[in-house]
Amino acid sequence: MDGAMLNAAVTPPKLMPSVLGPDLPKQRAADLPVIVSLPIKDLFADISQEIYLDGGDLSVVRQATEKALVNVDMCMIKPQDTVNLLCSEHGFSILGGEPYAQMVKTINDVVQKRTGCQKIRLIFCVGAGLTEARTMIPYYGLDSYFERIVSTWPFDKGVAIETDIGTLYGLKRVYDADWIIHACYTDPREVYFHRQINRIMKSFAMSYARYETRSVYHLNFASRSSNIVPRAIFESQFVQDRFAFACCIETSPAGITGISADNDLRRLDRRITKTTLKDYGKLMRLFAEIDECVAVLDGMRWASYIHGGGVTFGWLCKANIDYFNLDISGRAEGYPQANPAVKALVVNYIWRDQFMEYIQSYPTIVAGRDIAKGVSKAVSKNGIIAEDLESAMETAFHIAKTDKAIVFDGSYGSINLTPSMGEFLMEHAPGVSQKVDNDLLPLWLKQRGIDPKKD
Amino acid sequence: MRRIYLMAQVDKNLCIGDKICENICVSKAIKVIDKKAGVDENKCVLCMKCFDACPKAAISIVSRAEPLVLAVNTAEVDQNKLKEICARAHLDPEEKICACTSTTAKEAAAAILKGAKSPEEVTLMTGLRSACSLWCIAPILRLLKAYDIELPPSDGYRWYNISPALWNVSEDVARKYPEYRIGEDKKLLQEGVFHNFIKL
Repeated sequence: MDGAMLNAAVTPPKLMPSVLGPDLPKQRAADLPVIVSLPIKDLFADISQEIYLDGGDLSVVRQATEKALVNVDMCMIKPQDTVNLLCSEHGFSILGGEPYAQMVKTINDVVQKRTGCQKIRLIFCVGAGLTEARTMIPYYGLDSYFERIVSTWPFDKGVAIETDIGTLYGLKRVYDADWIIHACYTDPREVYFHRQINRIMKSFAMSYARYETRSVYHLNFASRSSNIVPRAIFESQFVQDRFAFACCIETSPAGITGISADNDLRRLDRRITKTTLKDYGKLMRLFAEIDECVAVLDGMRWASYIHGGGVTFGWLCKANIDYFNLDISGRAEGYPQANPAVKALVVNYIWRDQFMEYIQSYPTIVAGRDIAKGVSKAVSKNGIIAEDLESAMETAFHIAKTDKAIVFDGSYGSINLTPSMGEFLMEHAPGVSQKVDNDLLPLWLKQRGIDPKKD
Repeated sequence: MRRIYLMAQVDKNLCIGDKICENICVSKAIKVIDKKAGVDENKCVLCMKCFDACPKAAISIVSRAEPLVLAVNTAEVDQNKLKEICARAHLDPEEKICACTSTTAKEAAAAILKGAKSPEEVTLMTGLRSACSLWCIAPILRLLKAYDIELPPSDGYRWYNISPALWNVSEDVARKYPEYRIGEDKKLLQEGVFHNFIKL
């Protein structure tokens, strides 16, 4: 395709040391001579462009947050009130986490200044364990920035929320204030679960919910219908009585693209749905074109959540189905559940134990004994332990019978990959772009009742 | 079947007896006596909730002398009853109801037929909830209800009895929120499309 070219590999966001993962690796995949990079904007010029990429000036994020909050009504918050500023661990997985941390800090400052309210608590919501919170809070300097921080997880005491579909349970610590502020993000991540239906509300059935509510979302509904769970919680009187506004960090595969804020979460959701379908749809369908590849896991967090070129590894594992298309039921009959185009995995760094189902689906090569010791038994027991990263790559290429590889290392803006994969993506991008513009994007928008000219 | 090689251990010098671990333990393996927590090694399923929740880092994970094996022989129960419970709970007997342990609905149903009367007892017989514990409680509650087991009121920590589900959504609500395609998904469920782990 015209103008597209392969560059030297981009440096991925640095890894946060954590007891949740093995010791940090000696070498990153981006350091290997075989890895190059392909800029996202060279693939799809019409993807929303970034205001921030890793290593950039974080004051841009602060300014964008301040600007987004100008038109938000905060008059309901009185100086003597209590406010819970709700943040979710996944926000910190985006570009190393600093941009989301910056947005959260700025929301606090603006609310204090505008309302005179000093009783703002940061509620740090995590899913798998409070160890995450204990690691992340000091790492991002949140403990020195906020006077009050409370960590919470799905096993904390619950609070009953009466909804249109019955009683569901939120976390008491999330809702024990006069007002709540929803600090969210647009990163679509698990499209195969939320189907980009009210995606911005999902936290109300996840980060802010007891584990029974999460289980109801995942196992008592199918993927399209499950999204009534967060919506029902959000629209309950209980939540409406406390909801002040939402502030959202927006991304595209190119990087952080802006900050949005609104008192009306449904209005914000419609805007974000439109931009997400446009900005992620092409890359998603391009990944669906991949016929064979090696995936290299080399980032902070659990395997399925690690980004490569702004999209997650979990997404590659499901790329064989168009989950934006709401006519597909969710369990797409006749499709394999794990994308068969992935022929082998190389594990250079991941957090341990959780969400191993993808890893167990593919031949796995671990990049050295130190990494093997620190990841799940399922990986070290079933996988091949190579001497180092370089030999792990060679083994993976041999098993996969291809040298097309994509690296998931947390990077946005460019995809770190092998030259053969870069050439493959460049070759297929124009056709995918045309198909999405002409057929798929209009269909996805129509299915969600969004008129691109009006909304 | 679940084989567990490790277990939780309490450092009595660090334990302050706050009962956080006792309250959240998925298998009721921890009991605080005289302001010190103790772990029943026959019941610890290594869910790690105590390890994560303890504010004093008083819990460590140690090796077991012999692995704890949690398994139910599904062939030992009445197969018709097993199928009936699963059907009433809207589950296929072969369906995996836990992504971590790969435990099937029929194993949980067999545990109930063999006498399990609570989520904790299902855990101790099958190994369900012995890993992330985030996903599998709803089908356990469905199976217990399908066998007409009345659960005691929640203690506020270990679990809440919860019933919202696709098949319980009223026609009025389905009409109010057409974007979720409730009717369509209900029909597909009846046709068996969503059997075998509804979301994966």
